[in-house]
Amino acid sequence: MDAAPAKRRKIAHPDGNASIALEAAQAAATGVSRARAFVLETEEMLDSVDLDYSEAFDGADALLHRLKGSIETIPAHDAQPLLDAAAKLEKKHKLKVPFPSPPPPQNSNYKVSFATPAQFNVVGSYVAKTMVRTQSAHGIDMIVVLPESILQEKDYLDLRYFYKRAYYLAVVAAHLQKDLKGEATLSYEYHNGNSLLPVLSVKPNGEKDEDEKKKKKGVLDYRIRIIPCAPESFFPRQKLHLGAGLVRKHKEGEQQANGQPATPATPFYNSTLVAESSYLQYLKLLRQTEKKCAAFRNACILGRIWLQQRGFGSDVSKGGFGYFEWAVLLALLLQGGPADTKGAAPLSPSLSSTQLFKALIQFLSVTNFAEKPCVLGQAKPDLAGFIENGPILWDSARQLNIAFKMGPWSADLLHQHARWTRKLLADGAVDQFQPTFILKADLPTHTYDLVARMDPEKVSEAAPDKVAHEARGRHWQVGHKVYRILRRALSDKNMEGGERARLIHLKVSPGFSSSSWSLNEKPQPQKAGTPIEIGVLFDPLNMARTVDRGPSAGPSAEEKETCEKFRRFWGEKSELRRFGGDTIRETLVWSAQTPFDLCEEIMRYILGLHLRVGQLQDDIVFYGRSLPALLSIKPSDTALFNVARKTFTSFERDLRDLEDLPLRIRHVNPICPELRHSSLKTPSFGPSKSGPRPMEVVISFEASGKWPESLIAIQRTKIAFLLMIGRLLERFKPGEIRTHVGLDDARYETENLAFLDVIYASGACFRVRIQADLEESLLERQTKDKTTEQYLRQRASTQLASFRRTFVHLPLHTQYITTATTRFPALSPTIRLVKHWFSVHKLSNHFPPELLELFVLHTFLAPYPWDVPSSPTTGFLRTLLFLARWDWRTDPLIIDTSLNGELPAQERQAIATRLDAWRKLDPGMQHTVLFVATAHEQSGTMWTSVDGHPRPSKVVAARMTALAKSAARVIREQGVDLDVRRLFVPSLKEYDVLLYLNTKVLKSALRTYITVDPATEMNGGKGQEIKFKNLAPETVEPPLPVAQHPVDVLLKQLSAVYDSAAGASGTGPLVFFRSDTTATEEGDKVIGAVWNPTLVKRKWRVNLPTSYKPVAGGKDESEDEDEDEDEDGSEREKEREGEGRVEVEVNREGILAEVARIAGEVVERIEVKGL
Amino acid sequence: MASNIPSTIGEFSVLPVSIPPLPSFPKNVVHYLYVRRHAPKIPTPTDSRSLFVTNVPVDSTEAHLRALVTSLVGTGRFEKVTFEDESKQEHSLEGKSIIDAAQPVHAARLLQAHIKKRKRDDEEAQEEAAARLPSTWTRPLRRSGSTAVVLLADEKSVEQVLKAIAKVHKTKKYPVWGGDGLPDSKMPPLGPVWLKSHNRLSFPDPSMLQASVDAFSTLFARREQEAAEIAKRLRNEPDEDGFVTVTRGGRNAPASRTEAEEAKRRMLEKENKKKEELANFYRFQLRERKKAEAAELLKRFDEDRKKLEELRAKKGKFVPEA
Repeated sequence: MDAAPAKRRKIAHPDGNASIALEAAQAAATGVSRARAFVLETEEMLDSVDLDYSEAFDGADALLHRLKGSIETIPAHDAQPLLDAAAKLEKKHKLKVPFPSPPPPQNSNYKVSFATPAQFNVVGSYVAKTMVRTQSAHGIDMIVVLPESILQEKDYLDLRYFYKRAYYLAVVAAHLQKDLKGEATLSYEYHNGNSLLPVLSVKPNGEKDEDEKKKKKGVLDYRIRIIPCAPESFFPRQKLHLGAGLVRKHKEGEQQANGQPATPATPFYNSTLVAESSYLQYLKLLRQTEKKCAAFRNACILGRIWLQQRGFGSDVSKGGFGYFEWAVLLALLLQGGPADTKGAAPLSPSLSSTQLFKALIQFLSVTNFAEKPCVLGQAKPDLAGFIENGPILWDSARQLNIAFKMGPWSADLLHQHARWTRKLLADGAVDQFQPTFILKADLPTHTYDLVARMDPEKVSEAAPDKVAHEARGRHWQVGHKVYRILRRALSDKNMEGGERARLIHLKVSPGFSSSSWSLNEKPQPQKAGTPIEIGVLFDPLNMARTVDRGPSAGPSAEEKETCEKFRRFWGEKSELRRFGGDTIRETLVWSAQTPFDLCEEIMRYILGLHLRVGQLQDDIVFYGRSLPALLSIKPSDTALFNVARKTFTSFERDLRDLEDLPLRIRHVNPICPELRHSSLKTPSFGPSKSGPRPMEVVISFEASGKWPESLIAIQRTKIAFLLMIGRLLERFKPGEIRTHVGLDDARYETENLAFLDVIYASGACFRVRIQADLEESLLERQTKDKTTEQYLRQRASTQLASFRRTFVHLPLHTQYITTATTRFPALSPTIRLVKHWFSVHKLSNHFPPELLELFVLHTFLAPYPWDVPSSPTTGFLRTLLFLARWDWRTDPLIIDTSLNGELPAQERQAIATRLDAWRKLDPGMQHTVLFVATAHEQSGTMWTSVDGHPRPSKVVAARMTALAKSAARVIREQGVDLDVRRLFVPSLKEYDVLLYLNTKVLKSALRTYITVDPATEMNGGKGQEIKFKNLAPETVEPPLPVAQHPVDVLLKQLSAVYDSAAGASGTGPLVFFRSDTTATEEGDKVIGAVWNPTLVKRKWRVNLPTSYKPVAGGKDESEDEDEDEDEDGSEREKEREGEGRVEVEVNREGILAEVARIAGEVVERIEVKGL
Repeated sequence: MASNIPSTIGEFSVLPVSIPPLPSFPKNVVHYLYVRRHAPKIPTPTDSRSLFVTNVPVDSTEAHLRALVTSLVGTGRFEKVTFEDESKQEHSLEGKSIIDAAQPVHAARLLQAHIKKRKRDDEEAQEEAAARLPSTWTRPLRRSGSTAVVLLADEKSVEQVLKAIAKVHKTKKYPVWGGDGLPDSKMPPLGPVWLKSHNRLSFPDPSMLQASVDAFSTLFARREQEAAEIAKRLRNEPDEDGFVTVTRGGRNAPASRTEAEEAKRRMLEKENKKKEELANFYRFQLRERKKAEAAELLKRFDEDRKKLEELRAKKGKFVPEA
């Protein structure tokens, strides 16, 4: 990597240690800081998952020897007819011979015998020492090679070998059962879920002595698997090639029915046979590679973890690609590689484990075994014809399809996961380690946009498929068919516009219910009605397509043929339509609206057509739709947002058309959620009872030297400007535009004082504020002015922050989010769902909407370990997952909003350092809690603090995390069965105080008129209304826009009253929780509040932060009373003491009474849980 | 329960006030005020007849406190009350009128130094009042736990009030907050009307607003003019020591801020460019840079290691999720 090692020596520090460290640093680093961190973290993980074998498998070696010795003593016996021998064995030892299905036919006349095994060997991850602490079960594989004497070459036909193997196993089991009585528990299980291969599992019984058990804490709950297998290369490989059909006899009945003598190919059976006789070859291969390549072992462990976190395993039901397949693939790549590389090994044995891991991920991300056979080794067999049957990963040296246990869907999924991980590993900026190894990525609800469950029993038609699915059960057969149909329907690349689904995945349950069963039983058949689980990952744009344009109907034979094919597949749905440019095409028209419903409609139609299933609702159940429905998010919402944008554009034009403005307008920027597709409620423009809802915008004028050099004067000048703009607009479009200048609730004269509401007759309403550039530089100067007092500088800096937020960052943010919503179609509904969640849990008043948008944006920009969410449901669930995992105490949230997504590493580093500095400065998190930085805004506190106080405060942020954690737990536990409405049920239990609002009063408080005095209206309103009933509708003009929602005003005032004393918000005696006022028409009825736990009993002093009362019956009581009787003017010292001694506590009732007085009739009732 | 409340804490007398129940919170509650003689660090002439009160209820008004004093010692003793936030607000403008506060720093300095205690005539005061923006609240709230200074008629009243407070503890007849003697109509109500009024008052009459802004700008311009004149005078007049004060503005029109900043930016840019051109020019620079890079690499490696150490301290960080 380093081009000039000689130079390096010169550069390096003279003293030796440093240069060694430098070499180490350079060895670990491939330039970027992230990669180095990845290496370090990976090593750390390897250390922590590593097992101490002598401790963890205490006694395993002894047991293995014992087993070997015991098996060797089994007496051999001569050939006996299979069924007789089996029956005798079963009777004598009270166990069952685990014959694969179908059991041997009654007329089978070949004989079985028993002889001492030809060879014993321990294989797999125990010898390679590649097990990890976190894997679900630890097993030691011991193979027992059947002696050639008891086998015949022809045994490869018709399951004969497997029957003999089962008998052999049963004999061993019978003997061990007797021999190991009490020492170990024996049971059967299927090897890798392959029902052809029962194996014997030996689980040592725990130590009887309790004390001893305690001592050996590190001992794992392991088991030893005894795996009978065929002698090396016993069966002729050429007979076992992928196309051969080797299972004939038992299908006689069907053959007659079909009248076809040809036997279907049995690739799975064949590959199983090959694998049976290759154990030792692979053992050798792996040992050799291990010797040659030092990092091989660790690379295998990394692969094991990576696969495990994605739900992959060697088991057929886990996708059929596990540790063994990973290790073999890696070993082959270190040896020979694919045929087209001319035999040169693609990977060098001198690579490090992380490099090997990355290389293999890269390999998997460019190779999809399900689409094209992948051949490793010198030979170039023609396998393309067999790809139909399943994925092919061909080891030509051993002539085995390593991927034989995989379904095409699992190969596809593996390919996708590799692609996502590769993308992650290429993204130098984000944390690569966590998503790669730590996070669990196999949650179907988070991975797929749509999950459906289909009952395979309902598939009426059972005609044998062309593809054989021997030994994998009927479910597999149905699943394979479903997959092929869906793939053609949803991922048709020839369809104009492209494929609808990026991934279709199936989860087919194996044909038996439990993984192991006791010796005297038969394997438990699967419970009826176990469904096939179908997961679909959308391409969000294409899935929303309602019209599919197929092949064009032309005159040529070729075109006719494709059309015919199309029609045959789609049935009646296909119709001819004429499109622009005079093309006539086969067309499919769907009626559903949302991507989800469209996918469901297509799936129901096509599965119904081909498999006659799905007509009944129960046959296929779809999961994942209810979430957007909850908010009634519709595709038409986008149109509403676009209308809002359009009204804004026309408003901007009106503004720019004003001629008499003294300064020219430079920008008009929207800054509100309605104008960036992310408000909870869609913007509405109709007449509404409670006045129009204004959308906020800011205007900046061309630079001018005429602004006064004084903040106060600037604010006044802005008012004059607003008044002028209002007048001009009204004159410009009389009757169509009404304007009102409103006053902001400013605390200081130097803050922004006023805004202009512009109301169009159409119902659109804008709230305009003016940006004066000079304001920023004046504030900046004030913050740096050392001659002024500290508190003034402090104030200037909070004002500067709020200036920048309103006039600089909000416009940028709005622009960015708007672009992002077009880039990610699922972003806008996801943001709205997340906002809804925060609102339901009454967190809205603590989280600025921009912050929530950034949370969601993060899940879209750094979606690892998955890809960008393509539906609101996955987006929402992943955002919750992120919030549950985010440790905001130590981790900054960095959102890379730069254009090309390349925030420099130094800047990221700087952001992290800034957070560290904050935490050191303010460990109690009084001033900074959440730390969220974007590329545009790197201070990290722009969106998480308001007026110098953290928003949310620590208490509230902790509550958010707790809520997200419990939601994530429920989601994980319940999986697809989860009723998502449960996530949106607020719990009122945790609040100490509940304020029940009077909606009637609130509604009337929402309506204010310029001509009516509220006091008289509210007091004598009723009488007047009746008096002038005839006049009411005509004379009363439309209501004023609401300056602020009354509940907002109330809470703001309450927080001003109770919070400001202690400084930060949320530090007052009561912390209020409220939902978004715009969420529903009348808003939430209940405000929750909790007592601040940090305000406890304390010594009395003059400046208490809130209303306190003396503690009654304290120790000093009697003394105090004595003093009273003495006289007022007792000695000073004593008094001083008294001042320090008397304890006071928060006067909670007093505070509630104050709240009740302030709120008046707005609050119907205050419910107190605990004082 | 309430009987055990101490009647004094240090210099302060505890004044319990009974709060009548409300429909939304039907409970009899006691609020505690703490009262003592007013003794500020900087004495004022009225200290002797003032009481310092802390923990005033948040909805306190002058009427409330007047009623409270009346119920303790009868009518005619209460003169006025100054709440903490009111005195603070004055302080925030440093006792200056809004117009003076609005002046740019340099002008303000000039005005302060060279206009000897200008006496504000009534006319100007009126104009200033007109320049104020209308309040959007019908009634202000007090910060919880804040203080107020109550000015009474005479020193004797102070004594009497304190005595009356001591007596309250014995008789257990606490004065009622907002109770009798509080004329309802005088005080704007809180609650929905208050909120609604706020929303309406947020939209003042445009003509009034215009007038206010106009008044402000007239006054502002006048004061600016004054400052300019002073500056001009100072430029020409040496002071008693014979020095001429340097003031803003001169023969040339003053450079605008934006231009100055632009010029500064350009200068910096130029400097940067020069620096860049000379970087990597000499061999030693190259060597030093490489050295620095190597050191940086080492440093970062160490940092990463340290960070890892920290992460390791947080258990479970490196074990794959189950």
